[in-house]
Amino acid sequence: MKLPYYPGCTLKDRTSQLETTALACAEKLDVQLEEMPNWTCCGGVYPVSETKIVNLVAPFRILKEVQEAGDDKLVTICDFCYNVLKRTNLIIREDSVKRTRLNLFLSDDDRRWAASGRRVGEGQEYDGGVKVLHYLEMLRDELGFEAVAAAVSKPLEDLKIAPYYGCNLLRPPLEMDLDDPEDPRIMEDFLGSMGAQVVEFPYRIECCGSFLSLSSPQIARRLCHTILESARKNGADAIMLSCPMCFYNLEQKQSEFARHFPGFRPMPVFFFSQLLALALGLDPASLGFERNFADPVPLLKEKHLV
Amino acid sequence: MKRIGVFVCGCGINIAKTVDVKKVVEEIGHYPGVVYATDYQYMCSDPGQKMIQEAIEREHLDGIIVAACSPTLHEFTFRRASEAVGLNPYQCEIANIREQCSWVHQDKEIATAKAIKITKSIIEKERLNDSLSPISVFMTRRALVIGGGIAGIQAALDIADSGYEVILVEKEPSIGGHMAQLSETFPTLDCSQCILTPKMVEISHHPKIKLLAYSEVVNVGGYVGNFNVKILKKPRYVKEDLCNNCGECFKVCPVVVPNEFERGLGSRYAIYIPFPQAVPSICTIDADACLGLFPLACNKCKEVCEPNAVDYDMKPEIIEETVGAIVVATGYDLLPSEELKEYGNGRNPDIIDGLHFERLLSASGPTQGVIRRPSDGKVPKEVVFVQCAGSRDPEKHLPYCSKFCCMYTAKHALLYKHRVPDGQPYIFYIDVRTAGKGYEEFYHRVSEQEGVVYLRGKVSKIFQDGDGLMVWGVDTLTGKKVEITADMVVLATGAVPAEGSKKLFANLKLACDENGFLSEAHPKLRPVESLTPGFFLAGAAQGPRDIPETVAQAGGAASKVIGMFSQEMLLHDPIVAVVDENLCSGCKICISACPYDAREFDEEKNIVRVNELLCEGCGACVAACPSGATQQQNITDDQIREMVKVVLGE
Repeated sequence: MKLPYYPGCTLKDRTSQLETTALACAEKLDVQLEEMPNWTCCGGVYPVSETKIVNLVAPFRILKEVQEAGDDKLVTICDFCYNVLKRTNLIIREDSVKRTRLNLFLSDDDRRWAASGRRVGEGQEYDGGVKVLHYLEMLRDELGFEAVAAAVSKPLEDLKIAPYYGCNLLRPPLEMDLDDPEDPRIMEDFLGSMGAQVVEFPYRIECCGSFLSLSSPQIARRLCHTILESARKNGADAIMLSCPMCFYNLEQKQSEFARHFPGFRPMPVFFFSQLLALALGLDPASLGFERNFADPVPLLKEKHLV
Repeated sequence: MKRIGVFVCGCGINIAKTVDVKKVVEEIGHYPGVVYATDYQYMCSDPGQKMIQEAIEREHLDGIIVAACSPTLHEFTFRRASEAVGLNPYQCEIANIREQCSWVHQDKEIATAKAIKITKSIIEKERLNDSLSPISVFMTRRALVIGGGIAGIQAALDIADSGYEVILVEKEPSIGGHMAQLSETFPTLDCSQCILTPKMVEISHHPKIKLLAYSEVVNVGGYVGNFNVKILKKPRYVKEDLCNNCGECFKVCPVVVPNEFERGLGSRYAIYIPFPQAVPSICTIDADACLGLFPLACNKCKEVCEPNAVDYDMKPEIIEETVGAIVVATGYDLLPSEELKEYGNGRNPDIIDGLHFERLLSASGPTQGVIRRPSDGKVPKEVVFVQCAGSRDPEKHLPYCSKFCCMYTAKHALLYKHRVPDGQPYIFYIDVRTAGKGYEEFYHRVSEQEGVVYLRGKVSKIFQDGDGLMVWGVDTLTGKKVEITADMVVLATGAVPAEGSKKLFANLKLACDENGFLSEAHPKLRPVESLTPGFFLAGAAQGPRDIPETVAQAGGAASKVIGMFSQEMLLHDPIVAVVDENLCSGCKICISACPYDAREFDEEKNIVRVNELLCEGCGACVAACPSGATQQQNITDDQIREMVKVVLGE
């Protein structure tokens, strides 16, 4: 299976371990993820939080290029990019005024690019026909978790993992339409396919604070501390997540927790792709654990996974 | 040529303001065939009617046109007035110059010209009208009541007490419905079973009532006055006439399953009666649970049954009955908790619904009336009641208000407080709606004197937190987020049409609203009748309602049935389709066009006939007939052609 792939900025920088492990796993699972050429910033959540049409141009161009390359699906890994691309695509499909204006805007843009020698599909309207898939969604719907389970060589049997969803994967629910927003199962099923023990905890869909960690860090800290402690109380060894923002708040910021919450013990946080890589038997040394604040290696050693 | 009279109504200024009534009279007076034309301010008034009647007699009129409001309003008035002086009522026609003209136009000149055209076209129609008389139909004076809850019980008793036979069909092994599950009823706190069971006993002994419990209506054919009903009698595997409910079989049955009547909080055996006061008082074998049926692995109950009532070979049976009227009283169910993902997704045993709590409160319930939470039997000291769980939530769940939850939640909190005096009940609400006699007083008593905490706001999430349940909500009066650690949560889940009613209503061709509840013929003036003649509505099948309202409505439906049965004959409108046998080629297109199954093929003559009693005069077959063999009485193709000519000004 060959699918075009949109990385986004964070995966090239702060959380490159998310990309490298995800791509390595894809290769192992016989899925060719081809990074699209000339990709630009998706715009963060900014484009879909305002009504201005011009904000939608960046994600619109990305989607249009996928169609022009003859593809009808696009895989993303970052939750923010997934949210922006999927919602922009829905706007293009359902709002004919915005669709027409974006197409007109970009046909003008195309001419400028054409002058610079770049090949464009001129006159071709983008209608929202591309299906935007999260990597997890691709595993579930395109490949199937059974196929994942069949490829697992090192089951994560003793690992008690609490899956954490955050917001961008699931909400707004009618637009994202990935899973039930109040009772999602995709991460649980994914963990199940790798043989891990799933720990259900009530804070799995509560907010990590997102960008509040910059403007009001004390609020984000309190939210994340509650999430981690709830997972621990319910018996989790570690947390699994998919969003780089959540990773920053829940993992990287743990460095400050001990100062604010006396007695706090760091808790390992994995990207879903790191766990998948482990289960597929990839070299644990290549999974980027050195970038974690809470080192997961002792836990993995204890469970005989490294 | 017919002598036609025209009477133009001004309707105060409703018509006269936009239509020059005098001009209409003057113009129409010269129209061929019109021998008399006049106007009057209110034609529907007594003097107006009298004027028409005098003109009919004086001018020897063969037909009259009243140019006035819509025929849905006063056609009956003027036809009755005509009939009283000897004119066939079907020679009286209405030209609608109000709804279709004066009310929708401003320009008087144009509106007047249009009113004249409308009136002329009706004159052309009337010229070719036949004198008709209503079709008399013999009627079977026996009623079918579907559903044996309080609505069906009340309707059946009221009809039977008037001397007419009733067949009462209930799909469960016993009648009683949800009311039998309730503990005490608001606002008087009288015991639900104590007031219900006398009526249930009356049903079982009433000489005019035939009770078919554990049965379902599968098909209804025929028409008002003469419905042919097919009823499926499910096998109980126990002979009804032999079982004496001695209870010996329960002692030996090895299979224990959750009891539906207790909402799964209690258990029963595979051979069971749902509750002690069940009517009929006969055991039933649950085919899904019993080991003795397919294949026979156990026959313990048969061995101990002294009257030899157990019969593993019993088969389903189809019973056919003819009835004249049908009361639909299929009731409601609660929205399944599985729909409420944010409130535990139906997986947490201590998050229960209102009917569960009724069973916990009931003296005959699984805990003998002691409030114990299902997970560990502990007496809960903090209980959160969540109103509007799924109701008034158009985005995610049910858009409507389920009406009885405010009152039963207040009752729940009160009864809980009486049973557990050191416990603390909390109630989350959006609004408290108490529109009923004594309801507001009851609510005030609960909220002010009984130590119940009312919190105005919604609950966002409920989840297990250690030994208890964490309830997250908001108090919108203080603007604060509220977190309560509760031992048990009771959801006042919204009411939805009873399970299986969608299929049944489709089978009976009954109109429903967008939420699946039955539609009434008119929301204000015909609230207990269905749009389909011969069907009447009772209880929560039409929408959520409490016991007093249900009983009143069931009585209303019953009296409509009794009123119908007390007539000598049923009269059917003669505006029906007729077939010219010489023109009909038997192509059967009309059969597929007819929504009422009123067209039937005559094999012998190779033509399609009209069953006049089923025909509602919709005209679909007339339009579909390729040869023009089918014509509608008094709306023939010839009439329509002449009307169109006038309207087009030829």
